[in-house]
Amino acid sequence: MATFNFKKREIECKIVYYGPGRCGKTTNLEYIFKTYKKQVTGEMVSIDTEGDRTLFFDFLPMGLGKIKGCDVKVQLYTVPGQVQYSSTRKLVLKEVDGLVFVADSLEVRREKNMLSLKDLHENLKSYGTSIFKVPLVMQYNKRDLEEEGIPLMPIKKMDHDLNRQLKAPYYSASAIKGQGVPQTITECLKRTLLNLQKQLKWAK
Amino acid sequence: MATNVVLSGNLNFLNLAELLQLLGSNGSNGILRINAQHVSEPGIVFFSNGNPVHSINGALRGLEAIFSLFGWMEGEFSFSGEPYNGETTINKSRMEIILDGLRMLDDGEIEKVQGVLADEAPVEPPKAVSKKSSLPLIKGPLVDYLHVVDEEEFFDGEEIIIEGNHGNWIWVILEGVVELSRSTPKGPVKFLQITDGAFIGSISALLSDESVRSVTATAVGNVQLGMLDSQGMGSEFSRVTPEFRNIVRSLDNRFNEIMNRAVATFIGKNDPAKLLKDKRPVIMEGKNDDKSFIITGGRASIARKTKNGVVPLITGLSKGDFIGQIPFLDMGLEPTSAIVLGDKRLKVATVDQQSLEDEYGELSLTFKNMLINISTNILATAMVVCDLGNKAAR
Repeated sequence: MATFNFKKREIECKIVYYGPGRCGKTTNLEYIFKTYKKQVTGEMVSIDTEGDRTLFFDFLPMGLGKIKGCDVKVQLYTVPGQVQYSSTRKLVLKEVDGLVFVADSLEVRREKNMLSLKDLHENLKSYGTSIFKVPLVMQYNKRDLEEEGIPLMPIKKMDHDLNRQLKAPYYSASAIKGQGVPQTITECLKRTLLNLQKQLKWAK
Repeated sequence: MATNVVLSGNLNFLNLAELLQLLGSNGSNGILRINAQHVSEPGIVFFSNGNPVHSINGALRGLEAIFSLFGWMEGEFSFSGEPYNGETTINKSRMEIILDGLRMLDDGEIEKVQGVLADEAPVEPPKAVSKKSSLPLIKGPLVDYLHVVDEEEFFDGEEIIIEGNHGNWIWVILEGVVELSRSTPKGPVKFLQITDGAFIGSISALLSDESVRSVTATAVGNVQLGMLDSQGMGSEFSRVTPEFRNIVRSLDNRFNEIMNRAVATFIGKNDPAKLLKDKRPVIMEGKNDDKSFIITGGRASIARKTKNGVVPLITGLSKGDFIGQIPFLDMGLEPTSAIVLGDKRLKVATVDQQSLEDEYGELSLTFKNMLINISTNILATAMVVCDLGNKAAR
């Protein structure tokens, strides 16, 4: 659940990019950081965790309007997938408001994707929430590699693998070129805020 | 001491990372103090506009200090709101500190400290033997003033209670250091120093008519004590179930026993061959078994293996005493770092840990604090016994 900061009249919500190591979560966030520089408040924090970096920055999305007179500030995170980083994962995933699952389109990474999703599911469960309750968007990344003759899984197959039960909206993307990145984050923001508004009404 | 504490609690519930986030998003100014039982000085973080700007942990300063605090798994924190204009040693952003701190914790770069340092002390080489006391300094939990009915002051060298005298008053140390000692044929043996938040006096004495002090407590420097409402505590103690009362009594007994061992070691009579004769191990050391038992017959002893052989820590546990893990207390003895030995007639019954734990949950804060404090004392005295043994072996 998002945090209400009455001092600053802001609602802070948390969106987390999850996915197997080197699937392009960091590339997604770096692209957003560069492209929407004006909307980013503060620095990007980058921590070198083994196998993958952990990133964090604050983001004030434009044109979303206010909720109950409060600005909406979004904290964007990636989280290291390695088992050992349980403290970081817990901090990041606890009370998450929106999720982007970045899957690697390479055929050889098929199993890694599935394991990572299962991991996310279990982590959320252990923090008292459910993958079905948190707004989620799927991104099938690295589509550009097809041109280079690297075997990729068809979108349909990936969706069947990962999204059969979740039925989350999905986007194909090439994060390194920025393609699909804005669509993914916009959709995730939209769903996160709708969900927040729903929760607010319910609380009333 | 800070008077304007605006937030306080336990790290078990809200850890440092969460605290930093909370204080950060609130834009708080002030001082965060974390008290843990394994250190005598609190860890401190200073905040300006929600950002940590300076930190102290023992000899460490700045970033190093704040990162080391991520390793504290247990402790009580209190945040007092006040402007901070002192030095700035930390310039990293809050989120970077949090994420990097957690990363280092997960990567094992920050040492995790939990409870009292149970297993480490005996393996440590004995420090250069100095005449000056290097006794463990035991700190109690934060004082709950609810049960403090009167304050008393003792001056340096004054004896607060004397071994062998009668009395059942209980005090909590508000400020200062008190030394616990026992007399022996070879002169007094000092084995613990206790300070703020620690208790003087035993719980089980509350309900018994014969309450002989088992130890002498002497003020080291001036000491401010808070006298506890023994009547209130006594009636609370009389309301607990007999099973629970038994655990408390047995805890007191353990402390008493382990002090006996300290005395015996001091005069060179803590002989394992004699004391542990005819006894066989019933709970092995290093097992992560969290069961507990009540002795229904026979006798049991607790001992620890050190490089100088087996050191008897508690002997003469008999009918009614517990052995094994108590769910709400971290005793640091069996089964993780001590063995339990029993004679041939030893019989035990299992303990319903859940109901004990439930009952513990309903106790007053002072009562809980006393139980925590006494188990810390037991553990620290165990270290002293091993240490005395080491010195004797040289």
